Amino acid sequence: MADILSETVAPADLKKFEQIYHEQLSSNSVTSKAQFEYAWCLVRSKYSADIRKGINLLEDLYNTNQEGHRDYLYYLALGTARLKEYSKSLNFCSAFLSVEPGNQQVLSLQQTIKKKLEKEGLKGMAMAGGLVLAVGALVGVALATKGKPSQ
Amino acid sequence: MSGGPYNYSYIFKYIIIGDMGVGKSCLLHQFTEKKFMADCPHTIGVEFGTRIIDVCGQKIKLQIWDTAGQERFRAVTRSYYRGAAGALMVYDITRRSTYNHLSSWLTDTRNLTNPSTVIFLIGNKCDLEAQRDVTYEEASKFAEENGLMFVEASAKTGDNVEEAFLETAKKIYQSIQDGRLDLNAAESGVQHKPSTPGRNNLSSDNQGSKDNCSC
Ligand SMILES: Nc1nc2c(ncn2[C@@H]2O[C@H](COP(=O)(O)OP(=O)(O)OP(=O)(O)O)[C@@H](O)[C@H]2O)c(=O)[nH]1
Ligand SMILES: [Mg+2]
Repeated sequence: MADILSETVAPADLKKFEQIYHEQLSSNSVTSKAQFEYAWCLVRSKYSADIRKGINLLEDLYNTNQEGHRDYLYYLALGTARLKEYSKSLNFCSAFLSVEPGNQQVLSLQQTIKKKLEKEGLKGMAMAGGLVLAVGALVGVALATKGKPSQ
Repeated sequence: MSGGPYNYSYIFKYIIIGDMGVGKSCLLHQFTEKKFMADCPHTIGVEFGTRIIDVCGQKIKLQIWDTAGQERFRAVTRSYYRGAAGALMVYDITRRSTYNHLSSWLTDTRNLTNPSTVIFLIGNKCDLEAQRDVTYEEASKFAEENGLMFVEASAKTGDNVEEAFLETAKKIYQSIQDGRLDLNAAESGVQHKPSTPGRNNLSSDNQGSKDNCSC
């Protein structure tokens, strides 16, 4: 019981979705649903290695699956925030808001992250500086595909 | 009752569940911010909100998990049910299908929470009387048959929104008082925050005569 950034997944739930994902992986038939569900649990883990893995899975989904973009961006923002990569996280929020301005859920996540930043100082910003480029590239893809009139 | 590290003495965990578009997020925002969102996008996964309320002179912090109703989120949102002290189960009085799905929402809730979890049924959008598709009587009967508390409410006008959240808290608080809800159980959905420094014996607190609740 805590807030959106510190709440953690129950180990049994993580295990359940991990199993589904791995079963599909071994038969070479991973669905975006199973990958998303597993990633969503991973970014809520208390271990940063799990969160990192979840972020990788979400980035992969983001690059291959058009429809789920808002879901993936939201959980990318959440996962990176939990790793205290606040700058990266705020970039994901901005990317989301550039498509859906005024989304209350994302605005409130953004606010939570900014408060954390204030509290913990600007250390995270400097650390994440090098990663901004990578996020920029990802967001660039989003905007480019969004801008296409026909598809 | 002051001097402790917290400005509330209990935390209750709530979940809000029900089909997509029934108004779960609007109910949460109306309750936490007294605002109505006319154009609310679908929730992604879960949203979170808090508010400190007063029940029988006790300050209680509600931690509210508003789940997404869209099908693709269902499997994982179930992991938020565990340890909920209160569950607000919402349907839309203008869409019968959202009412018809209640028994499956109820089954899920009963399976994933504990017997002391208070389930409150909300028929939302009662401001749209002209488009009503579910009568008050039949929903009320459904609630009675299943032992649920029930109101019709409107996240738009604010009608009965406070009542639903507060009545749920009152019921939970009563369960604590009469010992039906075990504070020490891992998944009761309730945390006690002793407001006096040092370790309190939680169970002896229950029998304390200092605040006999009159509600
Ligand atoms: N007239 C009226 N409209 C409402 C009321 N509550 C919500 N709405 C509208 O119904 C729509 C859906 O509301 P939401 O709160 O987003 O529904 P939800 O249950 O959270 O939906 P999901 O997040 O997809 O599960 C929004 O456009 C709201 O403006 C109400 O009490 N009266
Ligand atoms: Mg919602």
